[in-house]
Amino acid sequence: MTTAFGGDEAVAARGGALARWIARRPLAALVIAAAAALALWLILAPWPAGFEEWFGRKRLFVNALFNGVTLGGLYFLVAAGFTLIFGLMRNVNLAHGSLYLFGGYMGYEAADWTGSWLFSYIVAFICCAVVGVAMQILIFRRMEGEDLRQTLVTLGLAIIFSDLMVWVWGGNAIQIATPDYLNGPTPTPIVVAVKSSGEAVFLQYPRVRLVIFAAAVLIGVGMWLALHRTRIGVMIRAGVDDRDMLSALGYRVQILFALVFAFGAGLAGMAGIVGGTFQSISLGEDSHFLLASLQVVIVGGMGSIPGAALGALIMGCSEQFGLVYFQNYATMVTFLIMVLVLAIRPQGLLGRG
Amino acid sequence: MSTIAERMAAAGAGAAIELRGVTRLFGALAALTDITLSVRPGERRAVLGSNGAGKTTLLNCVTGDFPPTSGTVRFFGEDVTILPPHERIRRGLRRTYQISLLFQRLTVRENVYLACRGVSRGRFSFLRTRAGEAIMQSVADLIALVHLENVADRLVGELAHGQQRQLEIALALAGAPRFILFDEPAAGLSPTERGDLVAILTALPSHIGYIIIEHDMDVALRVVESVTMMHNGRIFKEGAPAEIETDPEVQRLYLGGGHG
Amino acid sequence: MALTETSTPSIAAPRGGALSRWVSRHAAILLLGLILVLLPAVANEFLLDQIVGWSLALGMIALSLMFLAGYGGMVSLAQMTIAGVAGYMVAVLGASSLPTISLFWPWWVATPLAIAIAVVFGTLSGALSARTEGIYTIMITLAIAAAFFYLTLQNWPIFNGFNGFTTIPAPHFWGVNWRAPVPLYYLILFFAASSYGAVVYISRAPFGLALQGVRDNPRRMEAIGYNVAAHRVAAHAFAALIAAIGGVLLVWLNNQISPFSISFERVIDVLVIAVVGGLGHPIGAFVGAIIYVILRTFALDALLAVGLDGRRFQTIIGLGFLLIVLFSPDGVIGLWRRWSARLRANGGSRRL
Ligand SMILES: Nc1ncnc2c1ncn2[C@@H]1O[C@H](COP(=O)(O)OP(=O)(O)O)[C@@H](O)[C@H]1O
Ligand SMILES: [Mg+2]
Repeated sequence: MTTAFGGDEAVAARGGALARWIARRPLAALVIAAAAALALWLILAPWPAGFEEWFGRKRLFVNALFNGVTLGGLYFLVAAGFTLIFGLMRNVNLAHGSLYLFGGYMGYEAADWTGSWLFSYIVAFICCAVVGVAMQILIFRRMEGEDLRQTLVTLGLAIIFSDLMVWVWGGNAIQIATPDYLNGPTPTPIVVAVKSSGEAVFLQYPRVRLVIFAAAVLIGVGMWLALHRTRIGVMIRAGVDDRDMLSALGYRVQILFALVFAFGAGLAGMAGIVGGTFQSISLGEDSHFLLASLQVVIVGGMGSIPGAALGALIMGCSEQFGLVYFQNYATMVTFLIMVLVLAIRPQGLLGRG
Repeated sequence: MSTIAERMAAAGAGAAIELRGVTRLFGALAALTDITLSVRPGERRAVLGSNGAGKTTLLNCVTGDFPPTSGTVRFFGEDVTILPPHERIRRGLRRTYQISLLFQRLTVRENVYLACRGVSRGRFSFLRTRAGEAIMQSVADLIALVHLENVADRLVGELAHGQQRQLEIALALAGAPRFILFDEPAAGLSPTERGDLVAILTALPSHIGYIIIEHDMDVALRVVESVTMMHNGRIFKEGAPAEIETDPEVQRLYLGGGHG
Repeated sequence: MALTETSTPSIAAPRGGALSRWVSRHAAILLLGLILVLLPAVANEFLLDQIVGWSLALGMIALSLMFLAGYGGMVSLAQMTIAGVAGYMVAVLGASSLPTISLFWPWWVATPLAIAIAVVFGTLSGALSARTEGIYTIMITLAIAAAFFYLTLQNWPIFNGFNGFTTIPAPHFWGVNWRAPVPLYYLILFFAASSYGAVVYISRAPFGLALQGVRDNPRRMEAIGYNVAAHRVAAHAFAALIAAIGGVLLVWLNNQISPFSISFERVIDVLVIAVVGGLGHPIGAFVGAIIYVILRTFALDALLAVGLDGRRFQTIIGLGFLLIVLFSPDGVIGLWRRWSARLRANGGSRRL
């Protein structure tokens, strides 16, 4: 064992992975820490008067941040399944946006019949999972290893699904009603302005968005735990890292593929309800969310769940800040981030080289 | 007075291929550990060792297919450690692959043509090559050298395994090579084809050196003047063929049935 | 997926004096060319511009994808976007109905500049995806296409947002009014035929052969002296040139451009056209385009005639595409090849 190894291990023993990372990249750690401190100050402190002159009202900034982070939660729900399916099966599922939209519509119908918003999630998950499994078993199993052909098939399906959904639900936007217990704003401890009387004004934010964001975080953590602590999860990760491992699984690999497809599709379906509650669902949202998933996964790193979370957060925030600060060029912010990542780290921020 | 480092560098300047302290990791696995190796211009060397010893990885580090994790690689005195593979090829390095890497949906002639064009000018040319140009003659000569004239216009994907191995060799002989790396070129060849291979190797102009990885000792020891033995990613013995054959440690580790 | 022609003649070009052999070998395409040249004598304006002209311009954009995918193994979904960049730039730099945005530069400045900008755009987006392989190219180029679509939708100062541009006529030069139906048809035919010929010719030239080598085995290409990334980027640049010219022609033909000319659906259409036609040969792009244009133009009426909802056109396209991908991966020209091979085999046995 070399001394360099020994030194590394000593640090690891003392401070864990974070300390090791900081020891390896002191400059990057410093920059990140400074950025975090600045962000905290921007969010928590009341802004000095001159500051608002050129940076706009603080309420605008904080609102964009909250909208961006919660939108990131939604993007994560959609992209997590997309990235897992891609990582494990090398299948770029271009019908993923259709599953999102389908889930939204099914959830809307279910909520309409039963009156239960929570129940609609179960319906959307099951419906989309069934479609996902059917796609895997009926089509993709027959063309294993032909990733380009699989992708073309998903494209054909996306075209058909999209048209069929227009047929059934028409072209109008549908809004899924927020249940009463989640309706209305929640006060937060963040000061957005100080009145002339010296009284502080606190940010009020829609409760449903906060709750859904918390749920997305829970799902993310749950997925991470499942991938690291369960046998199936370990198999999935091994398959993503090293595709030769999959052949060692024999026939069980098909069960694994079907499971992952079901889960990814189901998650996209649930995200459809979230999207229908946050904004609305309509014709064209399928391609919107497919493209959002692509960007999230390109930025975060293909096949990586933490990457999807990071990518979703970055894309959600850049989209919302872009809308507030660069109206005419809002999408360019998101796009430039993607270009930058591709130029510097083609495998994505948390992807494997 | 020159320092030891300077004298070592001067000694290495005359080498065709020189590796110093080369280590290659695949994740946690060290495929090569601290390899130091020097081969003279025109020298013919065999690299022997059991499966997984790191022989192919050694070639990959020399060509840049997989650059070393640490250490330096010099080609005729020039540090090429971080050069991309195509730059090394243009400097006169060539190689064959253990598992044929050919252009399956092109014909034999097109495969050889691409190899000849790759080490000449006009790689980006939008103008077709005329039948009378010199490069077409080199292509025909190479095809004849490996006895593939009869299938010259067939798609490579349709060739028999042995023919693909022959083509693999032809691709490495294109242009004006200065040093060639052969990775198990005889694997999958018939006895006649093996004879042809030995003939090709011995007929190479004497200024062209090569490293050959070969399990078949009959082939290997007939066409080389020196041997390097590898085991577990390290070199453990270098010497003349006769020395190696009689070395007890080699007998135990390699010839005694340790490989398979 | 069979992406290349299976019968590959020798690399070397035919020597002089073999003209008659060349003519007989290319009889079919020469005949087709003759028909297209003589078409204005018999066809009405609608058939000329809205069917054949549109197919040829669209076919050029699909051809640029065929070149990248069929020869280079790079399925780029940015080709319609590149065409759109060229089209938008023609409207911005040249003339349109929007004097507040358009610069009204003369056509011989505006058009080449628009094409150059589109080529630079295509080259840069190619460079972004050239370091990755195969399936990643689809993802990255689709993301690029989407970004440009949303940009044009949101941006009013340059792209006039949702509305886009109208009244973008082809220029007047050499005493010809190129916006009149017959001259416009010949203009499109000239560029479509030239790009088809260029692609066919280059496919057997060093650049095209090397591209096919990159498709088959990028690692080996490096190991015989090629800079694979540079080759990929150069291929993107060449394909962008074809797509850009096609884009300008499309704008002159339609007399307008808007975000919906380059939306997700249109971007996908180009892939559908190229795959349905067949990625194995440049002619596939035009075969796919004519099928698509005929479906687009007549499917609504045809569906209504058999008692179906005419709006289900998109489902028909999707199903057709799916059937081709599942059962004839080399597209319609693959079907044709297999069918004519079987016919020849049958004919042979009957003669015995
Ligand atoms: N691309 C690679 N990725 C991971 N491990 C590799 C790779 N190439 C070689 N190895 C590992 O490195 C070791 C040496 O392999 P190799 O050089 O191919 O041996 P040899 O050619 O002597 O049989 C083996 O354990 C092999 O599994
Ligand atoms: Mg080996």
